[in-house]
Amino acid sequence: MISRSALSRGSQLALRSQGASKLAQRGFAAVASPKASYEPTTIAGVKVASRDDNGPTTRLAIVAKAGTRYQPLPGLTVGLEEFAFKNTQKRSALRIAREVELLGGQLSAYHTREALVLQANFLRGDLPYFTELLAEVIAETRYTTHEFHEEVEHIIHLKQAKVNAAAIALDAAHSAAFHTGLGAPLYPTSNTPVASYLNENAVADFAAAAYNTANIAVVADGASQGGLTKWIEPFFKGVPKQPTGQLNATASKYFGGEQRIAKTGPSSFVIAFPGSSLGAFQAETAVLVGLLGGESNIKWAPGFTLLSKASAEAPGAHAYASNYAYSDAGLLTIQINGQASAVRKVAEESVKALKALVSGTIAQEDLVKAISKAKFDLLAASETSGSGLVHAGAELIHGGKPLQVAESVKALESVTAEKLTAAAKALLEGKASVAAVGDLYILPFAEDLGLKV
Amino acid sequence: MASLAPYILTRPWLTKLLKPVANWYASAAGYRQLGLRADDLINEENEDVLKALGRLDARESYDRIFRIRRAVQLSLQQKILPRTEWTKPEEDVKYLEPLVEQIKKENAEKEALDHLSIVKKH
Repeated sequence: MISRSALSRGSQLALRSQGASKLAQRGFAAVASPKASYEPTTIAGVKVASRDDNGPTTRLAIVAKAGTRYQPLPGLTVGLEEFAFKNTQKRSALRIAREVELLGGQLSAYHTREALVLQANFLRGDLPYFTELLAEVIAETRYTTHEFHEEVEHIIHLKQAKVNAAAIALDAAHSAAFHTGLGAPLYPTSNTPVASYLNENAVADFAAAAYNTANIAVVADGASQGGLTKWIEPFFKGVPKQPTGQLNATASKYFGGEQRIAKTGPSSFVIAFPGSSLGAFQAETAVLVGLLGGESNIKWAPGFTLLSKASAEAPGAHAYASNYAYSDAGLLTIQINGQASAVRKVAEESVKALKALVSGTIAQEDLVKAISKAKFDLLAASETSGSGLVHAGAELIHGGKPLQVAESVKALESVTAEKLTAAAKALLEGKASVAAVGDLYILPFAEDLGLKV
Repeated sequence: MASLAPYILTRPWLTKLLKPVANWYASAAGYRQLGLRADDLINEENEDVLKALGRLDARESYDRIFRIRRAVQLSLQQKILPRTEWTKPEEDVKYLEPLVEQIKKENAEKEALDHLSIVKKH
Protein backbone atom coordinates (compact mmCIF):
# COMPACT_ATOMS: atom_id res chain seq x y z
CA MET A 1 0.00 0.00 0.00
CA ILE A 2 1.25 3.44 -0.81
CA SER A 3 1.59 5.69 2.21
CA ARG A 4 0.00 9.08 2.17
CA SER A 5 3.22 10.99 2.62
CA ALA A 6 4.83 9.27 -0.37
CA LEU A 7 1.82 10.13 -2.48
CA SER A 8 1.86 13.76 -1.51
CA ARG A 9 5.61 13.91 -2.05
CA GLY A 10 5.17 12.54 -5.51
CA SER A 11 2.54 15.07 -6.31
CA GLN A 12 4.75 17.84 -4.95
CA LEU A 13 7.62 16.72 -7.17
CA ALA A 14 5.31 16.53 -10.12
CA LEU A 15 4.08 20.03 -9.45
CA ARG A 16 7.61 21.32 -9.08
CA SER A 17 8.85 19.77 -12.29
CA GLN A 18 5.84 21.18 -14.06
CA GLY A 19 6.76 24.64 -12.83
CA ALA A 20 10.36 24.14 -13.94
CA SER A 21 9.28 23.09 -17.39
CA LYS A 22 7.17 26.21 -17.61
CA LEU A 23 10.20 28.39 -16.78
CA ALA A 24 12.28 26.81 -19.49
CA GLN A 25 9.43 26.85 -21.93
CA ARG A 26 9.97 28.53 -25.24
CA GLY A 27 7.75 28.87 -28.23
CA PHE A 28 8.51 26.11 -30.71
CA ALA A 29 8.28 28.55 -33.58
CA ALA A 30 10.98 30.74 -32.01
CA VAL A 31 13.35 27.79 -31.69
CA ALA A 32 12.80 26.54 -35.20
CA SER A 33 13.07 29.87 -37.00
CA PRO A 34 16.60 30.78 -38.10
CA LYS A 35 18.16 34.07 -37.00
CA ALA A 36 16.85 36.73 -39.31
CA SER A 37 19.26 39.11 -41.00
CA TYR A 38 19.15 42.87 -40.44
CA GLU A 39 16.47 44.64 -42.45
CA PRO A 40 17.55 48.10 -43.61
CA THR A 41 14.91 50.85 -43.51
CA THR A 42 14.81 54.60 -43.12
CA ILE A 43 12.80 56.14 -40.29
CA ALA A 44 12.39 59.93 -40.30
CA GLY A 45 15.58 60.34 -42.34
CA VAL A 46 17.62 58.07 -40.07
CA LYS A 47 19.12 54.89 -41.54
CA VAL A 48 17.97 51.97 -39.43
CA ALA A 49 18.80 48.27 -39.56
CA SER A 50 16.80 46.02 -37.31
CA ARG A 51 15.96 42.44 -36.60
CA ASP A 52 13.67 41.01 -34.00
CA ASP A 53 13.92 37.55 -32.48
CA ASN A 54 11.32 38.30 -29.80
CA GLY A 55 13.90 37.80 -27.06
CA PRO A 56 13.64 39.52 -23.67
CA THR A 57 16.60 41.86 -24.27
CA THR A 58 17.47 44.45 -26.90
CA ARG A 59 20.75 45.76 -28.24
CA LEU A 60 20.46 49.23 -29.69
CA ALA A 61 23.48 50.91 -31.22
CA ILE A 62 24.41 54.03 -33.07
CA VAL A 63 27.14 53.27 -35.60
CA ALA A 64 28.78 56.51 -36.71
CA LYS A 65 31.25 57.14 -39.49
CA ALA A 66 33.83 58.27 -36.95
CA GLY A 67 36.40 55.50 -36.78
CA THR A 68 40.10 56.29 -36.74
CA ARG A 69 40.03 56.29 -40.52
CA TYR A 70 37.77 59.35 -40.65
CA GLN A 71 39.30 61.46 -37.88
CA PRO A 72 40.62 64.75 -39.29
CA LEU A 73 43.29 64.97 -36.55
CA PRO A 74 45.00 62.18 -34.58
CA GLY A 75 43.28 60.96 -31.43
CA LEU A 76 39.87 62.52 -32.03
CA THR A 77 38.08 59.17 -32.35
CA VAL A 78 39.22 58.02 -28.92
CA GLY A 79 38.35 61.46 -27.54
CA LEU A 80 34.83 61.21 -28.96
CA GLU A 81 34.52 57.66 -27.69
CA GLU A 82 35.43 58.67 -24.14
CA PHE A 83 33.03 61.64 -24.30
CA ALA A 84 30.11 59.27 -24.91
CA PHE A 85 27.53 59.37 -22.10
CA LYS A 86 29.12 62.44 -20.46
CA ASN A 87 27.19 65.58 -19.43
CA THR A 88 24.51 66.60 -21.89
CA GLN A 89 22.37 69.73 -22.01
CA LYS A 90 19.59 67.85 -20.22
CA ARG A 91 21.32 65.70 -17.62
CA SER A 92 24.66 64.93 -16.08
CA ALA A 93 26.86 61.94 -16.76
CA LEU A 94 26.21 60.71 -13.23
CA ARG A 95 22.47 60.86 -13.72
CA ILE A 96 22.76 58.90 -16.95
CA ALA A 97 24.82 56.24 -15.17
CA ARG A 98 22.41 55.99 -12.23
CA GLU A 99 19.29 55.88 -14.39
CA VAL A 100 20.77 53.16 -16.57
CA GLU A 101 21.73 51.20 -13.45
CA LEU A 102 18.15 51.41 -12.22
CA LEU A 103 16.86 50.07 -15.53
CA GLY A 104 19.44 47.29 -15.55
CA GLY A 105 20.94 48.44 -18.82
CA GLN A 106 24.52 48.46 -20.03
CA LEU A 107 26.12 51.27 -21.98
CA SER A 108 29.30 50.92 -23.97
CA ALA A 109 31.24 52.88 -26.53
CA TYR A 110 33.91 51.37 -28.74
CA HIS A 111 35.47 51.96 -32.11
CA THR A 112 36.90 50.11 -35.05
CA ARG A 113 39.02 51.61 -37.80
CA GLU A 114 35.88 52.70 -39.63
CA ALA A 115 33.07 53.07 -37.14
CA LEU A 116 32.41 54.47 -33.70
CA VAL A 117 29.71 52.52 -31.88
CA LEU A 118 27.57 53.72 -29.00
CA GLN A 119 25.71 50.72 -27.73
CA ALA A 120 23.03 50.10 -25.14
CA ASN A 121 21.89 46.66 -24.02
CA PHE A 122 18.65 46.65 -22.05
CA LEU A 123 15.37 44.96 -21.29
CA ARG A 124 12.94 44.99 -24.16
CA GLY A 125 10.42 47.29 -22.47
CA ASP A 126 12.91 50.14 -22.03
CA LEU A 127 13.25 50.95 -25.73
CA PRO A 128 11.84 54.53 -25.47
CA TYR A 129 14.25 55.51 -22.67
CA PHE A 130 17.35 54.25 -24.46
CA THR A 131 16.31 55.63 -27.85
CA GLU A 132 15.99 59.04 -26.22
CA LEU A 133 19.31 58.61 -24.39
CA LEU A 134 21.31 57.68 -27.49
CA ALA A 135 19.81 60.54 -29.50
CA GLU A 136 20.55 62.92 -26.64
CA VAL A 137 24.15 61.71 -26.38
CA ILE A 138 24.90 62.33 -30.06
CA ALA A 139 23.00 65.60 -30.35
CA GLU A 140 23.40 67.31 -26.99
CA THR A 141 26.66 66.28 -25.34
CA ARG A 142 28.35 69.40 -23.99
CA TYR A 143 32.04 68.46 -24.42
CA THR A 144 33.06 70.52 -21.40
CA THR A 145 36.63 71.48 -20.67
CA HIS A 146 36.64 70.20 -17.10
CA GLU A 147 35.35 66.76 -18.10
CA PHE A 148 38.07 66.55 -20.72
CA HIS A 149 40.80 67.32 -18.20
CA GLU A 150 39.32 65.50 -15.21
CA GLU A 151 38.01 62.34 -16.87
CA VAL A 152 38.60 61.85 -20.60
CA GLU A 153 42.36 62.53 -20.58
CA HIS A 154 42.80 60.31 -17.57
CA ILE A 155 40.97 57.34 -19.12
CA ILE A 156 42.90 57.75 -22.38
CA HIS A 157 46.20 57.58 -20.46
CA LEU A 158 45.05 54.44 -18.65
CA LYS A 159 44.01 52.77 -21.89
CA GLN A 160 47.26 53.78 -23.57
CA ALA A 161 49.16 51.94 -20.86
CA LYS A 162 47.34 48.77 -21.89
CA VAL A 163 48.28 48.91 -25.59
CA ASN A 164 50.48 45.83 -26.07
CA ALA A 165 53.07 44.79 -28.65
CA ALA A 166 50.49 42.85 -30.69
CA ALA A 167 48.25 45.93 -31.07
CA ILE A 168 51.20 48.17 -31.92
CA ALA A 169 52.44 45.68 -34.54
CA LEU A 170 48.99 45.47 -36.14
CA ASP A 171 48.78 49.28 -36.23
CA ALA A 172 52.27 49.49 -37.71
CA ALA A 173 51.35 46.97 -40.41
CA HIS A 174 48.24 49.00 -41.25
CA SER A 175 50.33 52.15 -41.34
CA ALA A 176 52.85 50.58 -43.73
CA ALA A 177 50.04 49.20 -45.88
CA PHE A 178 47.75 52.21 -46.12
CA HIS A 179 49.83 55.20 -44.86
CA THR A 180 46.95 57.57 -43.95
CA GLY A 181 43.26 56.77 -43.37
CA LEU A 182 43.14 53.09 -42.50
CA GLY A 183 46.80 53.43 -41.53
CA ALA A 184 45.94 55.59 -38.50
CA PRO A 185 46.53 53.69 -35.25
CA LEU A 186 43.44 52.15 -33.66
CA TYR A 187 44.55 53.47 -30.29
CA PRO A 188 47.33 56.08 -30.06
CA THR A 189 50.21 54.84 -27.89
CA SER A 190 51.70 56.96 -25.13
CA ASN A 191 54.48 57.88 -27.58
CA THR A 192 52.03 59.26 -30.15
CA PRO A 193 51.97 63.07 -29.94
CA VAL A 194 48.20 63.65 -29.76
CA ALA A 195 48.17 66.30 -27.03
CA SER A 196 48.44 69.15 -29.52
CA TYR A 197 45.46 67.91 -31.55
CA LEU A 198 43.19 66.38 -28.94
CA ASN A 199 41.13 68.85 -26.95
CA GLU A 200 37.45 69.31 -26.17
CA ASN A 201 36.89 71.85 -28.97
CA ALA A 202 38.41 69.60 -31.63
CA VAL A 203 36.30 66.70 -30.32
CA ALA A 204 33.15 68.85 -30.45
CA ASP A 205 33.93 69.83 -34.05
CA PHE A 206 34.51 66.20 -34.97
CA ALA A 207 31.21 65.29 -33.29
CA ALA A 208 29.41 67.89 -35.40
CA ALA A 209 30.97 66.41 -38.53
CA ALA A 210 30.22 62.80 -37.61
CA TYR A 211 27.00 62.79 -35.59
CA ASN A 212 24.35 63.66 -38.15
CA THR A 213 21.82 61.61 -40.05
CA ALA A 214 24.08 61.47 -43.11
CA ASN A 215 26.84 59.70 -41.19
CA ILE A 216 25.08 57.54 -38.61
CA ALA A 217 23.02 54.38 -38.66
CA VAL A 218 20.87 53.00 -35.88
CA VAL A 219 21.12 49.24 -35.49
CA ALA A 220 18.63 47.39 -33.33
CA ASP A 221 18.82 43.73 -32.43
CA GLY A 222 15.73 42.48 -30.65
CA ALA A 223 13.48 45.53 -31.05
CA SER A 224 10.19 45.53 -32.90
CA GLN A 225 9.90 47.53 -36.09
CA GLY A 226 6.79 49.23 -34.70
CA GLY A 227 8.57 50.38 -31.55
CA LEU A 228 11.49 51.78 -33.53
CA THR A 229 9.22 53.68 -35.91
CA LYS A 230 7.32 55.10 -32.99
CA TRP A 231 10.30 56.28 -30.91
CA ILE A 232 13.06 57.16 -33.37
CA GLU A 233 10.90 59.75 -35.11
CA PRO A 234 10.33 62.03 -32.07
CA PHE A 235 13.68 61.54 -30.35
CA PHE A 236 15.99 61.87 -33.36
CA LYS A 237 14.44 65.21 -34.35
CA GLY A 238 17.31 67.08 -32.68
CA VAL A 239 20.00 65.21 -34.61
CA PRO A 240 21.40 67.48 -37.35
CA LYS A 241 20.60 66.52 -40.94
CA GLN A 242 23.79 67.80 -42.51
CA PRO A 243 27.42 67.56 -41.36
CA THR A 244 28.97 70.88 -40.29
CA GLY A 245 32.56 69.81 -40.86
CA GLN A 246 34.71 67.62 -43.00
CA LEU A 247 35.62 64.02 -42.30
CA ASN A 248 38.91 62.69 -43.58
CA ALA A 249 37.48 60.57 -46.38
CA THR A 250 40.27 59.71 -48.81
CA ALA A 251 39.98 56.38 -50.61
CA SER A 252 42.30 53.65 -49.41
CA LYS A 253 45.34 52.70 -51.45
CA TYR A 254 47.70 49.83 -50.73
CA PHE A 255 51.37 50.77 -50.48
CA GLY A 256 53.25 48.09 -48.53
CA GLY A 257 56.49 48.52 -46.65
CA GLU A 258 58.29 47.72 -43.45
CA GLN A 259 58.11 49.18 -39.95
CA ARG A 260 60.30 48.30 -36.98
CA ILE A 261 59.60 49.58 -33.48
CA ALA A 262 61.74 48.79 -30.44
CA LYS A 263 59.86 47.80 -27.29
CA THR A 264 60.64 45.94 -24.11
CA GLY A 265 58.63 42.89 -23.13
CA PRO A 266 57.06 40.35 -25.49
CA SER A 267 57.61 40.76 -29.21
CA SER A 268 55.15 40.77 -32.07
CA PHE A 269 55.59 40.35 -35.80
CA VAL A 270 53.01 40.97 -38.50
CA ILE A 271 53.24 39.95 -42.15
CA ALA A 272 50.40 41.50 -44.15
CA PHE A 273 49.17 41.38 -47.74
CA PRO A 274 46.26 43.08 -49.51
CA GLY A 275 43.15 41.17 -48.47
CA SER A 276 39.46 40.92 -49.05
CA SER A 277 37.30 44.01 -48.47
CA LEU A 278 33.67 44.26 -47.40
CA GLY A 279 32.70 45.62 -50.79
CA ALA A 280 34.41 42.90 -52.84
CA PHE A 281 34.43 39.52 -51.14
CA GLN A 282 37.36 37.35 -52.29
CA ALA A 283 36.69 33.70 -51.61
CA GLU A 284 40.36 32.72 -52.15
CA THR A 285 41.52 35.06 -49.39
CA ALA A 286 38.97 33.67 -46.95
CA VAL A 287 40.02 30.09 -47.75
CA LEU A 288 43.68 31.07 -47.49
CA VAL A 289 43.01 32.39 -43.98
CA GLY A 290 41.34 29.06 -43.15
CA LEU A 291 44.30 27.16 -44.58
CA LEU A 292 46.89 29.23 -42.69
CA GLY A 293 44.69 29.13 -39.57
CA GLY A 294 46.67 29.19 -36.37
CA GLU A 295 43.83 29.02 -33.89
CA SER A 296 43.20 25.51 -32.67
CA ASN A 297 39.74 24.12 -33.29
CA ILE A 298 39.92 21.53 -30.52
CA LYS A 299 41.09 21.59 -26.96
CA TRP A 300 44.54 20.40 -25.87
CA ALA A 301 45.99 20.33 -29.38
CA PRO A 302 47.84 23.02 -31.30
CA GLY A 303 45.80 22.27 -34.42
CA PHE A 304 46.88 21.06 -37.84
CA THR A 305 46.77 24.21 -39.95
CA LEU A 306 49.93 25.55 -41.60
CA LEU A 307 50.57 28.20 -38.95
CA SER A 308 49.84 25.76 -36.12
CA LYS A 309 52.52 23.48 -37.52
CA ALA A 310 54.89 26.45 -37.82
CA SER A 311 54.18 27.47 -34.20
CA ALA A 312 54.78 23.92 -33.00
CA GLU A 313 58.40 24.23 -34.17
CA ALA A 314 59.14 26.99 -31.68
CA PRO A 315 57.36 26.92 -28.31
CA GLY A 316 56.83 30.37 -26.81
CA ALA A 317 55.27 32.00 -29.86
CA HIS A 318 51.83 31.79 -31.34
CA ALA A 319 50.89 32.58 -34.93
CA TYR A 320 47.50 33.09 -36.51
CA ALA A 321 46.09 34.44 -39.74
CA SER A 322 43.15 36.80 -40.15
CA ASN A 323 41.60 39.04 -42.75
CA TYR A 324 40.70 42.56 -41.70
CA ALA A 325 37.97 43.68 -44.07
CA TYR A 326 37.11 47.38 -44.47
CA SER A 327 34.66 49.09 -46.80
CA ASP A 328 37.12 49.67 -49.65
CA ALA A 329 40.20 47.64 -48.72
CA GLY A 330 41.28 44.62 -46.76
CA LEU A 331 44.40 43.32 -45.09
CA LEU A 332 45.32 39.65 -44.83
CA THR A 333 47.65 39.31 -41.86
CA ILE A 334 49.77 36.68 -40.24
CA GLN A 335 50.43 37.78 -36.68
CA ILE A 336 53.05 36.14 -34.48
CA ASN A 337 53.24 37.01 -30.77
CA GLY A 338 55.60 35.74 -28.11
CA GLN A 339 59.28 35.69 -27.14
CA ALA A 340 61.54 37.34 -29.73
CA SER A 341 63.63 34.28 -30.67
CA ALA A 342 60.56 32.06 -30.99
CA VAL A 343 58.79 34.77 -33.01
CA ARG A 344 61.73 34.88 -35.41
CA LYS A 345 61.66 31.12 -35.88
CA VAL A 346 57.90 31.03 -36.44
CA ALA A 347 58.08 33.96 -38.89
CA GLU A 348 60.67 32.07 -40.94
CA GLU A 349 58.59 28.89 -40.84
CA SER A 350 55.41 30.78 -41.79
CA VAL A 351 56.96 32.35 -44.88
CA LYS A 352 58.42 28.96 -45.81
CA ALA A 353 54.94 27.44 -45.49
CA LEU A 354 53.49 30.19 -47.72
CA LYS A 355 56.17 29.57 -50.35
CA ALA A 356 55.62 25.82 -50.16
CA LEU A 357 51.96 26.55 -50.83
CA VAL A 358 52.88 28.30 -54.06
CA SER A 359 55.37 25.72 -55.34
CA GLY A 360 53.79 22.53 -54.05
CA THR A 361 50.33 21.12 -54.23
CA ILE A 362 47.60 21.47 -51.66
CA ALA A 363 46.18 18.24 -50.29
CA GLN A 364 42.47 17.84 -51.03
CA GLU A 365 41.81 17.15 -47.34
CA ASP A 366 43.46 20.41 -46.27
CA LEU A 367 41.45 22.33 -48.86
CA VAL A 368 38.18 20.83 -47.62
CA LYS A 369 39.12 21.70 -44.05
CA ALA A 370 40.03 25.27 -45.00
CA ILE A 371 36.79 25.80 -46.94
CA SER A 372 34.71 24.48 -44.04
CA LYS A 373 36.53 26.78 -41.62
CA ALA A 374 36.01 29.78 -43.91
CA LYS A 375 32.32 28.94 -44.22
CA PHE A 376 31.91 28.61 -40.49
CA ASP A 377 33.72 31.92 -39.83
CA LEU A 378 31.55 33.73 -42.38
CA LEU A 379 28.27 32.35 -41.08
CA ALA A 380 29.16 32.73 -37.41
CA ALA A 381 30.21 36.36 -37.92
CA SER A 382 26.94 37.24 -39.63
CA GLU A 383 24.95 35.54 -36.88
CA THR A 384 26.46 36.60 -33.55
CA SER A 385 25.03 39.83 -32.29
CA GLY A 386 28.29 41.67 -31.44
CA SER A 387 30.13 41.76 -34.74
CA GLY A 388 26.91 41.46 -36.74
CA LEU A 389 25.69 44.72 -35.21
CA VAL A 390 28.81 46.68 -36.20
CA HIS A 391 28.80 45.08 -39.65
CA ALA A 392 25.18 45.97 -40.32
CA GLY A 393 25.78 49.58 -39.25
CA ALA A 394 29.02 49.90 -41.21
CA GLU A 395 27.30 48.68 -44.36
CA LEU A 396 24.56 51.29 -43.95
CA ILE A 397 26.87 54.24 -43.36
CA HIS A 398 29.08 53.29 -46.29
CA GLY A 399 26.10 52.80 -48.52
CA GLY A 400 27.23 49.35 -49.63
CA LYS A 401 25.01 46.38 -50.11
CA PRO A 402 24.82 43.94 -47.20
CA LEU A 403 27.01 40.84 -47.39
CA GLN A 404 25.20 38.23 -49.45
CA VAL A 405 25.85 35.22 -47.26
CA ALA A 406 24.42 32.60 -49.60
CA GLU A 407 26.40 33.89 -52.59
CA SER A 408 29.59 34.13 -50.55
CA VAL A 409 29.19 30.54 -49.33
CA LYS A 410 28.77 29.40 -52.93
CA ALA A 411 31.92 31.31 -53.88
CA LEU A 412 33.80 29.62 -51.04
CA GLU A 413 32.72 26.19 -52.22
CA SER A 414 33.95 26.85 -55.73
CA VAL A 415 37.54 27.56 -54.62
CA THR A 416 39.97 25.02 -56.06
CA ALA A 417 43.58 24.20 -55.21
CA GLU A 418 44.78 25.90 -58.43
CA LYS A 419 42.92 29.12 -57.64
CA LEU A 420 44.36 29.11 -54.14
CA THR A 421 47.91 28.60 -55.39
CA ALA A 422 47.45 31.42 -57.88
CA ALA A 423 46.15 33.74 -55.13
CA ALA A 424 49.05 32.91 -52.82
CA LYS A 425 51.51 33.44 -55.68
CA ALA A 426 50.00 36.87 -56.42
CA LEU A 427 50.38 37.82 -52.76
CA LEU A 428 54.04 36.78 -52.57
CA GLU A 429 54.88 38.53 -55.83
CA GLY A 430 53.24 41.76 -54.68
CA LYS A 431 54.49 44.04 -51.94
CA ALA A 432 54.05 42.88 -48.36
CA SER A 433 53.62 45.06 -45.27
CA VAL A 434 55.83 43.88 -42.46
CA ALA A 435 55.87 45.17 -38.89
CA ALA A 436 58.25 44.11 -36.15
CA VAL A 437 57.71 45.27 -32.58
CA GLY A 438 59.91 44.25 -29.68
CA ASP A 439 63.52 43.08 -29.60
CA LEU A 440 64.77 44.36 -32.96
CA TYR A 441 68.18 42.71 -32.50
CA ILE A 442 66.51 39.32 -32.92
CA LEU A 443 63.42 40.04 -35.04
CA PRO A 444 64.13 39.54 -38.77
CA PHE A 445 63.87 42.04 -41.61
CA ALA A 446 61.37 41.37 -44.40
CA GLU A 447 64.31 40.90 -46.76
CA ASP A 448 65.72 38.10 -44.58
CA LEU A 449 62.41 36.28 -44.80
CA GLY A 450 62.35 36.63 -48.58
CA LEU A 451 59.41 39.03 -48.76
CA LYS A 452 59.15 42.00 -51.11
CA VAL A 453 58.40 45.29 -49.40
CA MET B 1 23.60 83.64 5.60
CA ALA B 2 20.46 84.87 3.99
CA SER B 3 21.12 87.54 1.42
CA LEU B 4 18.85 90.34 0.30
CA ALA B 5 20.60 90.51 -3.08
CA PRO B 6 18.20 88.28 -5.06
CA TYR B 7 15.23 90.22 -3.69
CA ILE B 8 16.78 93.52 -4.68
CA LEU B 9 18.06 92.39 -8.09
CA THR B 10 14.58 91.32 -9.22
CA ARG B 11 13.29 94.86 -8.63
CA PRO B 12 14.90 97.32 -11.07
CA TRP B 13 13.88 100.44 -9.19
CA LEU B 14 15.35 99.10 -5.95
CA THR B 15 18.50 97.99 -7.74
CA LYS B 16 18.86 101.46 -9.25
CA LEU B 17 18.34 103.04 -5.86
CA LEU B 18 20.87 100.85 -4.04
CA LYS B 19 23.53 100.58 -6.76
CA PRO B 20 25.50 103.66 -5.58
CA VAL B 21 25.42 102.29 -2.05
CA ALA B 22 26.73 98.93 -3.27
CA ASN B 23 29.50 100.60 -5.27
CA TRP B 24 30.45 102.71 -2.28
CA TYR B 25 30.55 99.61 -0.11
CA ALA B 26 32.71 97.65 -2.57
CA SER B 27 35.18 100.54 -2.78
CA ALA B 28 35.19 100.98 0.97
CA ALA B 29 35.99 97.29 1.42
CA GLY B 30 39.43 98.19 0.13
CA TYR B 31 40.23 95.19 -2.06
CA ARG B 32 39.93 97.23 -5.25
CA GLN B 33 42.67 99.56 -4.06
CA LEU B 34 44.95 96.49 -3.90
CA GLY B 35 44.04 95.47 -7.45
CA LEU B 36 41.98 92.46 -6.38
CA ARG B 37 38.59 91.25 -7.58
CA ALA B 38 35.81 90.18 -5.23
CA ASP B 39 36.20 86.53 -6.27
CA ASP B 40 39.88 86.60 -5.26
CA LEU B 41 38.67 86.89 -1.66
CA ILE B 42 36.80 83.57 -1.69
CA ASN B 43 38.31 81.26 0.90
CA GLU B 44 40.13 78.61 -1.07
CA GLU B 45 40.81 76.16 1.76
CA ASN B 46 37.82 74.10 0.77
CA GLU B 47 37.42 71.12 -1.59
CA ASP B 48 34.82 72.76 -3.84
CA VAL B 49 36.82 75.95 -4.35
CA LEU B 50 40.03 74.00 -4.99
CA LYS B 51 38.25 72.02 -7.67
CA ALA B 52 36.84 75.23 -9.17
CA LEU B 53 40.35 76.74 -9.23
CA GLY B 54 41.47 73.64 -11.14
CA ARG B 55 38.82 74.37 -13.76
CA LEU B 56 40.00 77.93 -14.46
CA ASP B 57 41.79 78.28 -17.75
CA ALA B 58 45.53 78.89 -17.74
CA ARG B 59 45.32 82.64 -18.40
CA GLU B 60 42.73 83.34 -15.70
CA SER B 61 44.63 81.23 -13.21
CA TYR B 62 47.86 83.13 -13.90
CA ASP B 63 46.18 86.52 -13.58
CA ARG B 64 44.59 85.50 -10.31
CA ILE B 65 47.93 84.47 -8.81
CA PHE B 66 49.47 87.73 -10.06
CA ARG B 67 46.75 89.82 -8.42
CA ILE B 68 47.06 87.97 -5.13
CA ARG B 69 50.86 88.21 -5.01
CA ARG B 70 50.73 91.91 -5.83
CA ALA B 71 48.15 92.45 -3.11
CA VAL B 72 50.22 90.56 -0.53
CA GLN B 73 53.27 92.64 -1.44
CA LEU B 74 51.28 95.88 -1.14
CA SER B 75 49.86 94.75 2.15
CA LEU B 76 53.35 94.05 3.53
CA GLN B 77 54.54 97.44 2.36
CA GLN B 78 51.49 99.14 3.86
CA LYS B 79 50.73 100.72 0.48
CA ILE B 80 47.91 100.87 -2.01
CA LEU B 81 48.14 100.96 -5.80
CA PRO B 82 48.13 104.29 -7.66
CA ARG B 83 44.56 105.29 -8.47
CA THR B 84 44.90 104.42 -12.19
CA GLU B 85 45.65 100.78 -11.34
CA TRP B 86 42.74 100.21 -8.96
CA THR B 87 40.30 97.52 -10.05
CA LYS B 88 37.54 99.23 -12.01
CA PRO B 89 33.97 98.26 -11.13
CA GLU B 90 33.44 96.81 -14.64
CA GLU B 91 36.58 94.67 -14.25
CA ASP B 92 35.31 93.25 -10.98
CA VAL B 93 33.54 90.27 -12.55
CA LYS B 94 32.63 86.96 -11.00
CA TYR B 95 35.01 84.49 -12.60
CA LEU B 96 35.12 81.89 -9.84
CA GLU B 97 31.76 81.93 -8.14
CA PRO B 98 29.81 80.39 -11.06
CA LEU B 99 32.29 77.49 -11.10
CA VAL B 100 31.93 76.96 -7.36
CA GLU B 101 28.15 77.06 -7.72
CA GLN B 102 28.33 74.49 -10.52
CA ILE B 103 30.48 72.15 -8.40
CA LYS B 104 28.17 72.54 -5.43
CA LYS B 105 25.26 71.63 -7.67
CA GLU B 106 27.12 68.57 -8.97
CA ASN B 107 27.83 67.45 -5.42
CA ALA B 108 24.24 67.99 -4.36
CA GLU B 109 23.06 65.91 -7.31
CA LYS B 110 25.55 63.17 -6.46
CA GLU B 111 24.38 63.18 -2.87
CA ALA B 112 20.76 62.99 -3.96
CA LEU B 113 21.40 60.17 -6.42
CA ASP B 114 23.47 58.22 -3.89
CA HIS B 115 20.53 58.25 -1.49
CA LEU B 116 18.03 57.42 -4.18
CA SER B 117 15.25 55.08 -3.15
CA ILE B 118 12.94 53.34 -5.55
CA VAL B 119 9.24 53.77 -4.97
CA LYS B 120 7.30 50.94 -6.53
CA LYS B 121 3.86 51.96 -7.64
CA HIS B 122 2.58 48.47 -8.40
